[in-house]
Amino acid sequence: MTDLAISLKGVTKSFGSTVAVRELDLDVPKGSLCGFIGPNGAGKTTTLRMIMSILFPDRGQLSVLGRPSAIDAKDRIGYLPEERGVYRKMRVGAFLTFMARLKGVNDSPAGRVAAWLERVGLHGVEDKKCEELSKGMLQKVQLIAAVMHEPDLLILDEPFSGLDPVNMRLLRDLILAEHRRGATILFSTHVMVQAEEICDHIFMLHRGEKVLDDDLASIRQRYDPRALMFEPFERGADVTPLEGVAGVASVTRDGGAYRIDLREDAEPSSMMRAVAVAMAPARLELRRPSLDEIFIRLVA
Amino acid sequence: MRTIFHIAARDFLATVSTKGFIIAVVLPLVAYAIVLVAFPRFTNNQAPAVRGRVTVIDPTGQVHAGVREYLRPEAVAERRAAALNRMTSGPMAGLVSGSGGATAQNIVVGEQPHLAVIERPASALTQEKAHLNGPRGEDQQLSVVVVHANAIVATEPDKYGTYDFFVRANLDRRVQSEIRDAVHDAIVSARVGAAGFDPKRIDVLTTVERTRSITVTETGESEISPGLSGMIPMIFALLLMMSVMSSGQYLLTTTVEEKSSRTMEVILSAVSPWELLTGKILGQMAVGLVILLTYTSVGVLSLVSMAMLGLLDMSLLVYLLIFFLITYLVMGSVMAAVGSAVNELREAQALMTPITLSMMLPWLFWYQISRDPNSTFAIVLSFLPPMNAFAMLLRMTSTAPPPMWQVWLSIGVGMAAAAGALWFASRVFKIGLLMHGRPPNLATLIRWARQG
Repeated sequence: MTDLAISLKGVTKSFGSTVAVRELDLDVPKGSLCGFIGPNGAGKTTTLRMIMSILFPDRGQLSVLGRPSAIDAKDRIGYLPEERGVYRKMRVGAFLTFMARLKGVNDSPAGRVAAWLERVGLHGVEDKKCEELSKGMLQKVQLIAAVMHEPDLLILDEPFSGLDPVNMRLLRDLILAEHRRGATILFSTHVMVQAEEICDHIFMLHRGEKVLDDDLASIRQRYDPRALMFEPFERGADVTPLEGVAGVASVTRDGGAYRIDLREDAEPSSMMRAVAVAMAPARLELRRPSLDEIFIRLVA
Repeated sequence: MRTIFHIAARDFLATVSTKGFIIAVVLPLVAYAIVLVAFPRFTNNQAPAVRGRVTVIDPTGQVHAGVREYLRPEAVAERRAAALNRMTSGPMAGLVSGSGGATAQNIVVGEQPHLAVIERPASALTQEKAHLNGPRGEDQQLSVVVVHANAIVATEPDKYGTYDFFVRANLDRRVQSEIRDAVHDAIVSARVGAAGFDPKRIDVLTTVERTRSITVTETGESEISPGLSGMIPMIFALLLMMSVMSSGQYLLTTTVEEKSSRTMEVILSAVSPWELLTGKILGQMAVGLVILLTYTSVGVLSLVSMAMLGLLDMSLLVYLLIFFLITYLVMGSVMAAVGSAVNELREAQALMTPITLSMMLPWLFWYQISRDPNSTFAIVLSFLPPMNAFAMLLRMTSTAPPPMWQVWLSIGVGMAAAAGALWFASRVFKIGLLMHGRPPNLATLIRWARQG
């Protein structure tokens, strides 16, 4: 029994002369919450579609939930595509019941639909036609279609796009709840801060090739910028004394604070103590690298 | 199978509950019912019970008595009874029996007129013609007949005169016909008598009762009008064309809509492309069957109500169903493939035009195929998908049906074509579903089929 929910080996997909995904290896452990990040056109959606057996790779091997094709396990997979689409003339309740039946939910799908609509704050829209809903409401309806059969694997393609902050938080909570339930989650986004907030594992794609594949803590450690963020206790104080602290390479202004870059041989925890002694801080913290910075560093 | 059923059921219900379907399928039936059943009940095509005078100016003195005798109420009633008897037992019997029969009889012969024949001298002509514009009523002047002086005895060898016929404005044409027949009969009798013959004897000798055609077939004899049975091939071809093209068009439209609204990918998250294609084809096949069965049932019920069921060999209905399934699978597969490949309906029309035109070919030549169902042209068409079903049905419903081996060969060819079309559609469908941008041409579709 494999511990991988998804496994890709040397997968390549081209459209005409354009190579969308090149020699991609990907292992998504069961029970993980993985972010699939990269800029627009990196090949994320193509990869997810291949995982879902909506597109088929030109080369390489693919395994989903232990099966060679997602078609054999579609009842156990939830998928929210990037392109949102519903039967516009169909009523919300009928649409979700239809989707539930396609996913093999036979025990009172209508009751399950009502419960989910209640959960995402769409109580009472069952009898409305899909075309009568706002974009945000439709997105919730589609998310319900993806999760209401309690899948083992949940694949979300740009789930946060087009959502307001309130619904973004609601969606984030839903994703985390599904993860706590035990589902393996793989979601793509080009807004890396979203992945940073909730993922425990990151895959980064650039021009169809994987440029990063690790858990978030390791990535941060590996791409430690060896820098501190410092804000003096006295506003407007002269920070020149900090440049004299042993181990400090440079001090530069960064917004309302200062960035203190450390020498290669300096140890961050002792440097924090030394800086605090040199000048009283209002704020002093280890500067963590953002995924944006890591990405830029990787592809620059 | 479960997912295919759910997709088929959704597509079927989504189509038959649209206004477009109701307008296209139900409204024509309502219009048909109005024309066939309700319209005759709310309209009065019967001739009015005409009463009035027929004035005869007869310088020969030999015609007016005959006219009076011919238009005597008892004689008129006797001829009407004979006419009705011919209608109800002749080749048109089906049209004038049953519920609509009484109406049809009255339309044909009208209400019995009551005509008084009056003889007037030639000098009264102007005055009598003026009476034609007089007030209406039971004593109204209906017509003035002026018999020519040489109408009975020729003034030159074999050159007889005739008569002039003046009528009141808007006089019913059936009454006019009755008066003409009376004058014609009276003049002929007078001429025959003047020539020294017995008019009654001549009438007996020259009367041969009109008989009806009896068609002899392997299953027996039937008294069906060839003209009416000639309509059956056209009706069968029409039923097939209507059901296949309607359901095929629905399949094309829904596929394009689902693709352009990005619904496809959502559905594909739950089913495979093959299941989606199969479900959609089956769903719209059910729509086509509803159309076919509805119109066929109405047609059969119409034949039953007119007692013309004998026109129809019921086994042809089974073949109609078989050919519908085959032709729909061919056309439906192609339409689903095209629908999956394009972004909007306008682009689909360009790809579908040659296929639609090829299907129209037997329809355009239905008369030639029906008239000569075993010509080389008809035989070749009946083995060329997708038009083979139309051609074969036209031949099977014609007066000279093809041998059964040709029928089964045509079915076999159709099934092979359906299998090929499904294979083509499944491969194009898989690739085309998520393709957006420039619409493909036929060569691209073929390339996709080879790659798929």
